[in-house]
Amino acid sequence: MTLTRADRPTTGQPADRVVYRRPDLLSDISTHYCPGCGHGIVHRLLAEVLGDLGLGPRTIAVAPVGCAVFAYDYLRLDFVEAPHGRAPAVATGVRRVRPDAFVLAYQGDGDLAAIGTAEIVHAAARGEAITVIFVNNGIYGMTGGQMAPTTLIGQRTTSTPGGRDARTAGYPLPITEMLALLPGVGYAARGSIAEPASIGKAKAMIRRACEIQVAERAFAIVEILSTCPVGWGMTPRESARHLAEDVPATYPLGVIVDRFRGAATTVGAGR
Amino acid sequence: MAVAAPASRVPLPARARGRAFHPLEIDIDRCKGCELCVGVCPPGVLVLDPTIVNRLGHHPVRLVDATRCTSCALCARICPDAVFTVYARPRETSR
Amino acid sequence: MMTAPTFPDERVLMKGNEAIAEAAIQAGCDAYFGYPITPQAELLEWMARRMPELGRAFVQAESELGAITMALGASAAGARVLVSSSSPGMSLMAEAMSYMAGSELPVLVVNVMRGGPGLGSIGPAQSDYFQATKGHGHGDYRVPVLAPSSIAEAIALVADGFDLAERYRTPVILLADGILGQAMEPVNPHFRSLPPRHDDWSLSGADGRPPRVVRSLHLRPEDLEVHNDHLGAKYRDIATHEVRWVGERLDDAEIAVVAYGTAARVARTAIARAREAGLAVGLVRPISLWPFPAAALARLAPRLRALVVVELSAGQMVEDVRLAVEGQAPIFFHGRTGGMVPAPDEVLGAIRRAWAITADRTVAT
Repeated sequence: MTLTRADRPTTGQPADRVVYRRPDLLSDISTHYCPGCGHGIVHRLLAEVLGDLGLGPRTIAVAPVGCAVFAYDYLRLDFVEAPHGRAPAVATGVRRVRPDAFVLAYQGDGDLAAIGTAEIVHAAARGEAITVIFVNNGIYGMTGGQMAPTTLIGQRTTSTPGGRDARTAGYPLPITEMLALLPGVGYAARGSIAEPASIGKAKAMIRRACEIQVAERAFAIVEILSTCPVGWGMTPRESARHLAEDVPATYPLGVIVDRFRGAATTVGAGR
Repeated sequence: MAVAAPASRVPLPARARGRAFHPLEIDIDRCKGCELCVGVCPPGVLVLDPTIVNRLGHHPVRLVDATRCTSCALCARICPDAVFTVYARPRETSR
Repeated sequence: MMTAPTFPDERVLMKGNEAIAEAAIQAGCDAYFGYPITPQAELLEWMARRMPELGRAFVQAESELGAITMALGASAAGARVLVSSSSPGMSLMAEAMSYMAGSELPVLVVNVMRGGPGLGSIGPAQSDYFQATKGHGHGDYRVPVLAPSSIAEAIALVADGFDLAERYRTPVILLADGILGQAMEPVNPHFRSLPPRHDDWSLSGADGRPPRVVRSLHLRPEDLEVHNDHLGAKYRDIATHEVRWVGERLDDAEIAVVAYGTAARVARTAIARAREAGLAVGLVRPISLWPFPAAALARLAPRLRALVVVELSAGQMVEDVRLAVEGQAPIFFHGRTGGMVPAPDEVLGAIRRAWAITADRTVAT
């Protein structure tokens, strides 16, 4: 539970303990994200974690191309826009010339696992001391709902109207498991924003990923399974249920590797 | 259907003014009516208010029974728009 | 009009690629990103040795695309950045050139040109003129392009390039070719240093100040038009103040050879032979390919019986010469492609042909 700042409530109530308030690192601008979109939850978790760790003033963040292209309007951080897929390379450039900065890359599934695959693999291979937040909702939201590398087999999208067929469109890419093989990767984990319990675990993963950069100067990636209600053709609550029940069979939750806490753990649910 | 009043806070109903405790503050002009909070609230005391259309064009969420809210903050944890401020119930306030 | 640089007293032999690299280091380059490609691998290798010695950033990226995008990030974070490549690698950098122009980021990019198109050859060429001055990425933007014709000049233009890039907040291309990159020439080992970058827009963490954003996205067309107008005003400013070219033996010339880089050196020898044969020939050597010295050519053309454009290409700069001259004088072209370098006598032959064909032409005095 986040306690960002103990404060007097503004409604003139007796001085109660604030259990939760909107994190300071979230700007006042209402996001353009669709109702129920997971990006809003992930932005919020990032704002909470960076606020808790006091990293806001020294963060330089890299914004993707995708629905989160306007992330710089929603988080009170220095931001640089990257071309589609290039965020890990842009982050590398920042990292190498700003040794004291906290460097964050925020990417979607097309950005990281399609057009940007070379950039993420090599940033991870070099062990760049950056933290990558990888929001995976298995679809291209910004461009209208086409297939992503992480789209599930059988999932209908505007470019797989009959459902994804592995024979022609291949299999969902387990990019985070692939990256976890690399010795330069200090931490790789997969969380989900489907329900409060997994949101809490996802927040802990984001926090650990940030700590890995600060304490160990190593590469960390947190993949966060997310929803796209409009792209999936579901209500937000239906999307959350689908995410909780159907997606982890292809993308299991858990810490895939944490090289600074003993032997690497194998892929599995929970922690 | 009434359009939301300029003030973005939920107005206190008459019976609640005075020393009653309010566990939730809802920024109704940020809410997008996604109902994720409605789905996770354990006592089920959150609903969309059909009498209000907010600045974003949605029916915002409303706390229908403050006495049954336990300040668990699951609503705040799942809200994509950080609409909620949650307060812990002080021990001396009776339900 | 600038005078050609004079040779100093002290000289050392330096390979072009290495001289360019060291010039960047002495000019205060904070970071280098590159990918091996012939004929500029020595530049990357020099940086690989020197930058870590100095505690500065060096990354051999996974591709030229990676390298230029790292440069984008480093520049956004306030660093003075060099990237180098050769023609096929420059094609991969097209995307980032557009983004850096739109985001107004200073980066110096060195292209040591080789034969193309496609994988081409590793011989020297000038067939990236279109790419450098009019091409690479999408959108309305220009990029200053500086073309040295000697290693000494390349050293000077590295510092000029960083200075231009930072004064105007723009990528800048230093356009060399495989001969310049690989040859060794005597140079003055005293390189120009520049004061460090200092600006109020680059990223360092929003500590005690509002957050800053470096971006090229302006989603509302009205906003993007305003941004494009701003860029256009900048490019007009550069076009007004940053034209660089050199004239040699033009005072009494009836024919002007127009050439840059290595082609200009071949042309100089051909012109000397033409003069010995009694032909009044001079040289116009553009140093800035963008902004192109169009006004100078327009002023010169009425008193010339011909211009002879010489390039290591199928003819690219010649189009800009035609645009500048606007029909005031006939224009002839001599070029070699594929990595071939014209011999001085070939160029002399082209001059003689132009001289003969225009025998009846009267010119303004």
